[in-house]
Amino acid sequence: MSRSQSAAFGIDQLTDAEIESGTSILLTGEDTDAIESVFYRLLAAEDNERSIVLATDDDGRSVTRAFDGIESGLSDRAEILTCDGPSHSDAVTAIEDLTDLTATGMTFSTVVANAQQETPRFRAGIFLASSICGAVDDTRSVYRFLNSNFLTELRRGDGLGVCAIDTGADIGSSTSSIVAGLETSFTGRIDIADSGLTGTTLETSGIDGLPETIETNL
Amino acid sequence: MLIVDEDEASDISTAVEAESGLTTVDADTVKGATEALKNDSFDCIVTRYELTDGTGMDLVNTVRSEAPQTPVVLFTDVPPSEIDTASFEDLIVEYLNSDLPDAHDRLGFIVDDVISHSVQVGFMAPENEEGRLEALSSYDIEELPIEESFSRLSDLIASHFDASVSFIGLIEEKQENFLACTGADWDSLTREKTICTHSMLQEDVMVVEDVREDSRFSENDTLENLGIRSYAGANMTTPDGHVIGQVCVLDDKPRGYDADERAELEQFAETVMEILELRDTLQTAQKPEAEA
Repeated sequence: MSRSQSAAFGIDQLTDAEIESGTSILLTGEDTDAIESVFYRLLAAEDNERSIVLATDDDGRSVTRAFDGIESGLSDRAEILTCDGPSHSDAVTAIEDLTDLTATGMTFSTVVANAQQETPRFRAGIFLASSICGAVDDTRSVYRFLNSNFLTELRRGDGLGVCAIDTGADIGSSTSSIVAGLETSFTGRIDIADSGLTGTTLETSGIDGLPETIETNL
Repeated sequence: MLIVDEDEASDISTAVEAESGLTTVDADTVKGATEALKNDSFDCIVTRYELTDGTGMDLVNTVRSEAPQTPVVLFTDVPPSEIDTASFEDLIVEYLNSDLPDAHDRLGFIVDDVISHSVQVGFMAPENEEGRLEALSSYDIEELPIEESFSRLSDLIASHFDASVSFIGLIEEKQENFLACTGADWDSLTREKTICTHSMLQEDVMVVEDVREDSRFSENDTLENLGIRSYAGANMTTPDGHVIGQVCVLDDKPRGYDADERAELEQFAETVMEILELRDTLQTAQKPEAEA
């Protein structure tokens, strides 16, 4: 194994710009639907890639539908860990207890390692990390999980990572303070500044190659 | 590095030594590994899951209690679904399936990575942590005559805010060292047990009005035992922008700080940095004379 100098990841569903391999993105906003739309567009795998999603609030079928709603057959390239429902296919792994971050972390690492046996390129994401923060008693375990099982995979492999936070959620602490802390450990941030019938405005920071503002129709 | 394996310690040792160049110590039981932990500190621990007197998770439990920031890699062919985590829900470990075709290559790489990046800590580190630590080490703290100045300043800060405790602390890689402390007798704290390691990530003053109501700190026994109920911290920022420490006030009751008070705390932090810079500059200027 070696740290790869790999090709950038395209995000055609949002912009023509590309994101460098190894980039970790903190995706924030108060509109959960808009966060979800942007999240799955960032996670949409191309032919030689796999998507790995830790879904805290959705079952496997919902995640499958979210991918296929972007492009038919996209879910065929996805590995799904769901904290809300059973495993209905080989591509879906059920997480019994969201607050058991030891088991969740080990399962997540295993899925990433297995996916890399097939193709080294992957897009990994958590939707929603704010739900994990809200569920656990001690936020330090979330930090340990992100450090041990999420950010490391991106540093070691040929991947793109997205960690979604609903800033309107009750996470048992100061949301702005937690986001400020997380932001320093992630490569950059995409914030959903505005979303409505006429379009969605994304403000980006710290991500090489992306414009500071992206206007898109989701 | 500590390797805990009943049967194949030599295989694991070979794999990690080849990649990391570290010396390994072998143990074959939870008890043996626990004894080793009492006698030595380790950069990393690699353990199997199934051991004769317990499991690798039992060992992780001990490590998290004795040396919480030491990374542990669980190297096993037991799938995650068969690992009993019910009693260890927040003992995050690095898991690697030893049945993977490239498992030993991965293990060496992972061990090197977890040591280089302190990956299993319960806090988020700044992306430029390496540069920050270099900036901190550029100050010869032990040699600078700052103790009395900082003690006086710490006394003034506590008095000004009518706080039960105030301190000036430097945030090292694994711990916070207190240069001055009024109202308590603290030398250092493990980094993930401090509020400062969170505060340093914010540009402005961080206030925690009630630690019992904040999930980042409410389960932190150290804070509870120290009687810390509220917190306000301002960054000590070097001229090139690295946050190397904090100037803080604590209280044993819930408390807020208004905008003026936050601004004043920032001014105290700036004053601390000015003293540190001046002392450091003076010492550097005097060195050639003394040597001559």
